[in-house]
Amino acid sequence: MRALRIAATGMAAQQMNVEVISNNIANMNTVGYKMQRAQFEDLVYENVQRPGAQSSDTGTVVPTGIQLGSGVKTGTVYRITTQGSPTSTGNKLDIAINGRGYIQVQLPSGDIAYTRAGNLAQNDQGQIVTADGYQVIPQMTVPQTATDISISATGQFQVTIPGQVQTQQIGQLQLATFFNEAGLEATGNNLFLQSGSSGNPVTGNPGAVGFGTVQQGFTEASNVDPVNEISSLIVAQRAYEMNSKVVTSADQMLQTTNQMKS
Amino acid sequence: MDNAIYVGLSRQMTLQRQLDVAASNMANMDTAGFKVEHLRVVTDPETAPHASAGFGRAAIKYALDNGVGRDFSEGALEHTGAVFDVALDGAAGFFSVQTPQGVQYTRDGRFGTNAQNQIVDHDGNTVLDNSGGAISVDPTKAAPVIGKDGTVSQQDATGHLNVIGRIGVTRFDNRGALSKEGGNRFSDSSGQAGAQTARDITMDQGFVEKSNVNAVVEVTSLIDITRAYERVQNLITSTQDLSTKAIDALGKMN
Repeated sequence: MRALRIAATGMAAQQMNVEVISNNIANMNTVGYKMQRAQFEDLVYENVQRPGAQSSDTGTVVPTGIQLGSGVKTGTVYRITTQGSPTSTGNKLDIAINGRGYIQVQLPSGDIAYTRAGNLAQNDQGQIVTADGYQVIPQMTVPQTATDISISATGQFQVTIPGQVQTQQIGQLQLATFFNEAGLEATGNNLFLQSGSSGNPVTGNPGAVGFGTVQQGFTEASNVDPVNEISSLIVAQRAYEMNSKVVTSADQMLQTTNQMKS
Repeated sequence: MDNAIYVGLSRQMTLQRQLDVAASNMANMDTAGFKVEHLRVVTDPETAPHASAGFGRAAIKYALDNGVGRDFSEGALEHTGAVFDVALDGAAGFFSVQTPQGVQYTRDGRFGTNAQNQIVDHDGNTVLDNSGGAISVDPTKAAPVIGKDGTVSQQDATGHLNVIGRIGVTRFDNRGALSKEGGNRFSDSSGQAGAQTARDITMDQGFVEKSNVNAVVEVTSLIDITRAYERVQNLITSTQDLSTKAIDALGKMN
């Protein structure tokens, strides 16, 4: 009975759905995390009777045909890249991006990664690095004598040095945008890599047309909406149950057949 | 008398297939742009005339499934905010995509771009405009804006909106003739559907159309199918009991 296998694909799909939801809930407090959604598509159809097949030799055709589906598969798990709310941290090197754009990060491998997690820090040489110690592009170094650092909305990093009236600019942050952000490849540690479907990065200063602005002392919270996730979880669980109900029904029908007297 | 058993069996076979269709609906409860299906069961018009119930009185009619009906009503729209997610308004229109097997149609508007910067569906098939061409976006400009009528435009550095194409929408004279190809796509393999360009169908950027499967209806039909199967089984058993009784009664020697 085909229904058993179809229901099994449905249960597998819902299981995957629950896994994606649980990953969202687990990352509810991850800085710059973007929630994901599983999307499904139907599997191939078996043509028991093709639509448009001839039903008689006078040329009449079957209007709709019989096509039996064989279940469901996970098509994509895509990222919803809406803005997360800025959370005040008071840390001078925390930045939240309001609007579009990713901070560019130099990976040890030489590749460039992109992140929305603006919880930056300094390393032992005073360079501005991410929470994992990877350098931010363009490279900026805070002088050892600096007492204060301020970051403008347009991404200028300025330091105050004792004995100097004017602040000194140490660098200009550049953001990268992709028009298909959902196509970026997540690599963990809040980092994303360019992929075939994300398009090429376009870099520019924060605040320019098409780029977001920078907010110092804030980080961008994840955009996971707990209420939304819990309701999705309930829907997924019920959908799983309903698919298992199909298994029960198919089983009952088979049992009925088995009890047939001969 | 055995005819009752065969008629019952014909019904049980259609019930098994009905369960398969219900299972497919249930499995695709979360599939974007999925349209719920139901098996149509009729009395077999081609039942042989000599298959009569004996004494030439009532003709026997077997049950036969003669088609899968698809309910094309619009599914709920879910807001995703993604630039390349597009949902069609109303139930009439379809996007058209170029697949290796020819042009196919879909209600699933979760699009993206490929390496050539063309707008593609989730399987990488190019989305077609009304004249059957692909739509290319310029990666150096801002994210595209898709208007209600499907016009795709991008803002350049000076703030001007440039129209780069229009997503095509197709409607059909007879949607029932479309066949499903998997991957949320339909095709007009029989050529009976009568595809027409539709310029009046609107769409919404940032939304995805969910499946139109109604869980309550499906669970109810599941119960219905199981019980009907048991009912027919009882009929078959009673028929067999009848034979057994006849043999017992008539076979007594004294």
